Amino acid sequence: MNGKYLHRVRVLAVSLLTLLAVACSWNEKGANREYTNTPQGNFMALWTIMDEHYCYFDLKKEMLGVDWDEVKTKYGESISDKMSDRALFEVLCNMIGELRDGHVNLSSAYDYGRNWSWKTDYPVNLSKDLRDKYLDKDYVIAGEGYFYRVLENNIGYLVVESFGKSISASRINVMFNNMALCNGLIIDIRDNGGGSMVASEFLASHFTEKTVTVSYACYKNGPGHNDFSKLYKNELSPAKEDLRWIKPVVVLVNRGCFSSANDFACTMKALENVTLLGDTTGGGGGLPMSSELPNGWVVRFSSAPFFDADGNHVEFGVAPDIRLDMKESDVRAGKDTYIEAACEFINDKLVNP
Amino acid sequence: MKITSKRLMTVSSRCFKPLLLLLLAVLPLRVSAQRIVWSLPQYNETVRVGAVAVGNAFARDTYLAASRYGGWTVGFEIDSWTGLKPDRLFKYGRVHSSLIFSPMKNRNNGGSTLELMGSNHWAYLWPAVECDKCDLLIGPAALLEMGVLYNRQNSNNPASMEGYFGAGFCVDNTFRFSLFKYGMALQATLYVPLAGVGFAPDYDIPYWLMYRYGSYGKLLHLFTPFNNTAVTQQVALVLPLRGDRLRIGYTFDYTGNSLGGHSRNIGSNLFTIGYILRYQAKEWDR
Repeated sequence: MNGKYLHRVRVLAVSLLTLLAVACSWNEKGANREYTNTPQGNFMALWTIMDEHYCYFDLKKEMLGVDWDEVKTKYGESISDKMSDRALFEVLCNMIGELRDGHVNLSSAYDYGRNWSWKTDYPVNLSKDLRDKYLDKDYVIAGEGYFYRVLENNIGYLVVESFGKSISASRINVMFNNMALCNGLIIDIRDNGGGSMVASEFLASHFTEKTVTVSYACYKNGPGHNDFSKLYKNELSPAKEDLRWIKPVVVLVNRGCFSSANDFACTMKALENVTLLGDTTGGGGGLPMSSELPNGWVVRFSSAPFFDADGNHVEFGVAPDIRLDMKESDVRAGKDTYIEAACEFINDKLVNP
Repeated sequence: MKITSKRLMTVSSRCFKPLLLLLLAVLPLRVSAQRIVWSLPQYNETVRVGAVAVGNAFARDTYLAASRYGGWTVGFEIDSWTGLKPDRLFKYGRVHSSLIFSPMKNRNNGGSTLELMGSNHWAYLWPAVECDKCDLLIGPAALLEMGVLYNRQNSNNPASMEGYFGAGFCVDNTFRFSLFKYGMALQATLYVPLAGVGFAPDYDIPYWLMYRYGSYGKLLHLFTPFNNTAVTQQVALVLPLRGDRLRIGYTFDYTGNSLGGHSRNIGSNLFTIGYILRYQAKEWDR
């Protein structure tokens, strides 16, 4: 064997070994930040995941006075290595509950940790019994969570309970054909907790004849509380090849409208022939992501904030064009204040376009 | 001290790399000439190995979850050596391809992740040492690794694209020896990328937004060994089997990187068994 070559090969191998060793150690410095599966480790993991990825710290500090470092101190005192898993779960849920964000949850076998004060602290503004009464028995099911009928005063009434599934284009075409002679359309998204933004935007795209800038979005691009990307413009284009609704539309909203229902309200508000009626929506303006604690509990948090067409945060909801609360007297009389007001509004539009 | 599977994995992944490199450097002195069971292909000849693989895989991608997942894996490998024109500097072409699938669980079995990962490595090799006892080939390589991790409990960010395309080097070593009159060969191959482009989302950008805004450029990051350490190692034993050749091997593949603000440790340990096919290119292929 050629000794000169062998020597070169050895030198090369040792050099590469050194280079790789240096590179591995350098690289694994960041990669190995794994927390231990102890109460303290899980607490720190949750606090840090939120600290580096949650997108609304500055907003929550400004609006709710939440200081994330103070939260760490406050709840860190309750953590001990002897505490039970259930007690740890409770402390961690209370910690993230300070953010009062429906998109911030901790999921374990014990429960689905949440703070729904954005909804529960406000008037309900919905009677499902009354809504069923307006839908009557002969309503049409246009998909999972989509129900409609034509009301007696010749106004279309569409209930969207959830945006978990999208309505199909063919069903929208059939629905619009069935309502072709109606004076207007009421879309009732009260208590719609969201689902898919694709589904909400697909439905919204049937209510515009031109491309409209409906919102803006950015995303976290670093661990700092203010590390955000540039703003991206969200444009809503008319649904191609489908029927589109150009008559007046009233969208009924309450505090139960959250996440993609909040986005639907935001999108529809930017359209010309659409009016929002009811209470401010529940919010949930951030696109959520998930991560995991060392013990396997799953944490969900908002990571990409959305803004309305004027550049305002929609995390705390979208304000209606017409503010309204359900009247107890109407409910007793078997009338839904929102639906009645929407019908009146559409009929007024006919007289005074 | 209690020896856990995690500890064994850590020890094997940290120690195996330097040990194999040392083996590559030292072994040429220790072997002696024996019967020939393996030889490099002549010009226009190709030696190809097809092998099935079983083993385990592990993955930790902080874009999906800050936890380590692990589980069994199945896949296959195709290895080939081709003889190039003898008057060239690089006399051999080497291609290594693999595809693996792995269902993985986290440490408390509370979550599961699916991994599908494919790789293709191409190398042009210069015979640094070529003799009766051993062949030591060294040369530049292009390396492509691509795949996806699918975390089944993340509804909003369930998947993450993994992989890189880079340039690096390949060291391919074969030692011939005999045992109980049977000629055998021990092969060791190492692929290391040194620079290229790695795939990773830009911190917390959801793939959905990337698709929506067409900002796929945010998926690409330049890398060096300092932010993307990757290695593919093979050790294999070639055995005669009634006039045919069988190859039993072990492949370790690892990528650890810090790209796009996230860290990843993805790897697999595969035990392979395959069949060696040697064939001559047809006339019209030349």
